[in-house]
Amino acid sequence: MSVETTVEAPKATKKEALFSKKNRRALFDPLDDNNPITVQVLGICSALAVTVQVKPAMIMAVGLTFVAAFSSLIIALIRDSIPGRIRMIVQLIIVALLVTLVDQVLKAYMFDVSKKLSVFVGLIITNCIVMGRLEAFAMAQKPWPAFLDGIGNGLGYGIILVVVAVFREVFGAGTLLGFKVIPQWFYDHGYVNNGLMVLPPAALFLIGIYIWWQRSRNTKLVNVS
Amino acid sequence: MEHYLNMFIKAIFVENVVFAFFLGMCSFLAVSKKVKTAFGLGLAVIFVMVLTTPLNYLILEYMLKPGALSWISPSLADVDLTFLAFILFISTIAGAVQLVEMVVEKFTPALYNALGIFLPLITVNCSILGASLFMQEREYSFAETAVFSVGSGIGFFLAIVLLAAIRERLRYSKIPEPLQGLGIAMIITGLMGMAFLSFSGIQL
Amino acid sequence: MHSNRYTFLFAAAISVITAILLAFTSESLKPLQEANVALDKKTSILRSVRFEGTDRTVIENTYASQVQEMVVNSKGEEVSGVKTEDIVVKNELAKPVGDRNLPLYVYSGEADKKYYVIPLYGTGLWGPIWGYIAIENDFNTVYGSFFDHKSETPGLGAEIAEKPFQQQFQGKKIMDDDNQFISVNVVKAAAKVSFGDEHRVDAISGGTITSTGTDKMLKVCMEPYLAYFNKLKTK
Repeated sequence: MSVETTVEAPKATKKEALFSKKNRRALFDPLDDNNPITVQVLGICSALAVTVQVKPAMIMAVGLTFVAAFSSLIIALIRDSIPGRIRMIVQLIIVALLVTLVDQVLKAYMFDVSKKLSVFVGLIITNCIVMGRLEAFAMAQKPWPAFLDGIGNGLGYGIILVVVAVFREVFGAGTLLGFKVIPQWFYDHGYVNNGLMVLPPAALFLIGIYIWWQRSRNTKLVNVS
Repeated sequence: MEHYLNMFIKAIFVENVVFAFFLGMCSFLAVSKKVKTAFGLGLAVIFVMVLTTPLNYLILEYMLKPGALSWISPSLADVDLTFLAFILFISTIAGAVQLVEMVVEKFTPALYNALGIFLPLITVNCSILGASLFMQEREYSFAETAVFSVGSGIGFFLAIVLLAAIRERLRYSKIPEPLQGLGIAMIITGLMGMAFLSFSGIQL
Repeated sequence: MHSNRYTFLFAAAISVITAILLAFTSESLKPLQEANVALDKKTSILRSVRFEGTDRTVIENTYASQVQEMVVNSKGEEVSGVKTEDIVVKNELAKPVGDRNLPLYVYSGEADKKYYVIPLYGTGLWGPIWGYIAIENDFNTVYGSFFDHKSETPGLGAEIAEKPFQQQFQGKKIMDDDNQFISVNVVKAAAKVSFGDEHRVDAISGGTITSTGTDKMLKVCMEPYLAYFNKLKTK
């Protein structure tokens, strides 16, 4: 429970640049070196659930980036006044509030969009990336880096989601974003869609292989977890 | 009685939260390096699940459902607060986790350090919220909710200890270096999931 | 470490702010949301009779001019004094069959053709699923269907809300040659069954629980209407 007390913002000697080296790291590290899925092991459940097709994977990635960025921003703004003993409830209430509010507004003004997104509401609130980053980063940082960290993690998550979804959709259903990509000729000569690809274990295999590829390229990640 | 026994077995094996629904994956993969820590996390999940699911049942039944507030005054019979279900469920869970965190930190600091961020993350361990939502969706009675939550908790415990045991053995296998650790754990989880699929043939 | 007093005050403040914000948005947006839900229901009913329009006024007008709402019971009698919009299908399903009020939407198509649209409600994997199925006036052939869901898995269970799945139902039969109710069964393509192809559609691979839920929903929701259909048939 030391998280919220450790970092007291250093008495600002000079104004930090908006995209200082540190801030750039907060934004870009999660894309590869500190990827939420393959390195931090966060947000796996939803990565299995929404990657059967590319479209839901993209929607989920955008939604999560939005929520992660703004909840990080809010938490970082009020981080000093949150009592340590109830910090988790406070974090979750803020995330849930944000998501519910957006959902309510969409339901009133953009009903079709809200119908498509309603599936994701629960997935975003319980997505451990949001809360994981709040605990690990936003509770101890200033609002701007926290906001960038939220965006970075959302994008890092999105990259994996889309890569996995492309494989699963092409080999599981023969389509990409709903368009047929595997020609009829293949099917006529005995090609069949791989039924395993639509099942959740396929996502696990693909993420496993992605990790293999990522770590053989980026050897400092070997044995991190 | 038989009905409850069936439900219990079903919640552990046939509808295992990890292998059938793929919930609670993050802590499942991250904290399964050693059997000992996996054991600790498994127990914590059982505890939180058994505490929160019946509690959420009571909240739903006596506060949120249409007509649920009529025990305060009959004029409130029409109030439907189910739109608050999500927020209240998750607050209950967050509260319970915070409690567990304080207890673990106080009595077993070693386990506390080993679990790290994944202790607070039990809050968003979707298997726990999932249990509450399943309870609401399937309209279980209180007794059924209790049995179901124990079964689901044990299901998670079993899954994580199983994987940890396999991963301990894996340390003696020759796996390509970049695949070691998380990569192979993912692939093994996939294989275990496929093995557990065969339980779905059991009719209870 | 903050004091207990502060912690309590903070918790109270957060709860009050959250409650006010939520109550305010949900109250102020309610009329708009309810209008959207009502329109969505009308659209869904029209989708089941292969109506494709998306424009709000077109839907309202078509519905007003071509759909007639009525309520029947499982004995085949028309029930008067109950409006369809007051009936919640979910609540009716909890009652014994004999006590249920069954809403029925009759769509008059071109050339005097009438289609009988039955509302459906059931459970998928994560949450409720619902839909409408339109029966032609031979009271046997399915004209079209529409399904929707609250939170099924995208790409798997959620496929019931997509056209390819729904179009399979067109032209299927719900009764066999001896006039026994068979329903349209949602089964795996490879499954061996005792009934013919006109009574089955392919389940969604990877979406087994949602498919089973759809199958059950069709049987449970259609059966009580048969008495009324039989009555119309003998007329």
